[in-house]
Amino acid sequence: PVTLSLLSPQAFPLRSLRRRQPTLLVACGPAQNGAVGLVCARHLRSFDYEPTIFYPKRSPDPLHRDFTTQCEKMDIPFLSYLPTEVQLINDAYNAVVDAVLGAEGTQGTEGTEPCAAILTTLRHVRIPIVSLDVPSGWLPGPVGGSGDISPDVLVSLAAPKEVARRFRGRRHFLAGRFVPEELRRKFGLSPPEYPGSDCVVAL
Amino acid sequence: QEEAQAIDQELFTEYKFSVDQLMELAGLSCATAIAKAYPPSSFTTSQPAVLVVCGPGNNGGDGLVCARHLKMFGYQPTVYYPKRSSKPLFEGLTTQCNKMDIPFLPEFPAEAEFIDELYGLVVDAIFGFSFTGAVREPFGSILSTLERVTVPIASIDIPSGWDVEKGKADGLQPDMLISLTAPKKAAMHFTGRYHFLGGRFVPPALQEKYSLNLPEYPGTDCVLQLT
Repeated sequence: PVTLSLLSPQAFPLRSLRRRQPTLLVACGPAQNGAVGLVCARHLRSFDYEPTIFYPKRSPDPLHRDFTTQCEKMDIPFLSYLPTEVQLINDAYNAVVDAVLGAEGTQGTEGTEPCAAILTTLRHVRIPIVSLDVPSGWLPGPVGGSGDISPDVLVSLAAPKEVARRFRGRRHFLAGRFVPEELRRKFGLSPPEYPGSDCVVAL
Repeated sequence: QEEAQAIDQELFTEYKFSVDQLMELAGLSCATAIAKAYPPSSFTTSQPAVLVVCGPGNNGGDGLVCARHLKMFGYQPTVYYPKRSSKPLFEGLTTQCNKMDIPFLPEFPAEAEFIDELYGLVVDAIFGFSFTGAVREPFGSILSTLERVTVPIASIDIPSGWDVEKGKADGLQPDMLISLTAPKKAAMHFTGRYHFLGGRFVPPALQEKYSLNLPEYPGTDCVLQLT
């Protein structure tokens, strides 16, 4: 999770945001993908963005609880509910970071609350969505479902997942520089060159 | 020194950061700063070989993380880690280096000239801001050798052997200093070419509380060049 957060700003440099305040909504699911979202939010805050987190079902994992504390102590607000009126979200935030289900979602857990409600909202927002690893709700297979969300940016973690083949958004980044060479070879991954000391690369 | 220790304590107890998290960010800052000041193409040795000397505590841990990231940035680091902590964090960091094919030297090069020949840069990750008192072996001899080395030395947080506030005029004179979190008082005595700030993890509220007055980091960079 440490290296993963240094990515969103590449896609949306501060000066390009439409609203006066660089606000972002970070929707965090109950498991690992959500935890990555929490770390991402904290780094976004230190990069002078104004993230707000929606984290309705909190993981009991002590590490994830600590991530939550770190965010709270950075004065990152946590929403107590997500407005069902999508226009409110469109108006308040420049983009949404989707850290809801990630790769766990491909096991078909998307039907459970509150993730289902978040996904419904994500399907209707008009602001860009940045999905972490796997767009939440996307199931494996060559063809997507009609209810699939359409993220603008996908950040693949470690290596692109199978569903990334279906991604048609604007930018696809890989955050995988921490994968040791030996492991890459073992899985036949051939990543592109990371520029300089960057930890993400645009694919 | 006390302030630095107090900030650290607060990061762990109030803000609930784990040592792992901050050490990873610190080590990454160091490697990034090194990559900016001494890019692989600038080395006169045939490979961009770097010697990373790790002390027994957290500064050494920062060094282990730094070595791993240097490897990923295309350098060829070699580690010397004579007094290894048995804590799981450090064992994990050592394993990560091993698995990245980063060699660990069984003994320290006997002469400064050997270091000059084999490596284009030395990373001093021996002692950090908690250092007090006398230097225990083997680090006394190591520091003596490093003082005679002519290739650049990059020190993590505090040039090892320096008093954390007053420096050490006859001690190590590194070419680069990477101050972590905020420069320590000793940094005022630093005369090398490159002074970077790293460890971009101090929450705004904590910065205010201790009046750190840190300058702005550029964009999303995790290091800031001070000189």
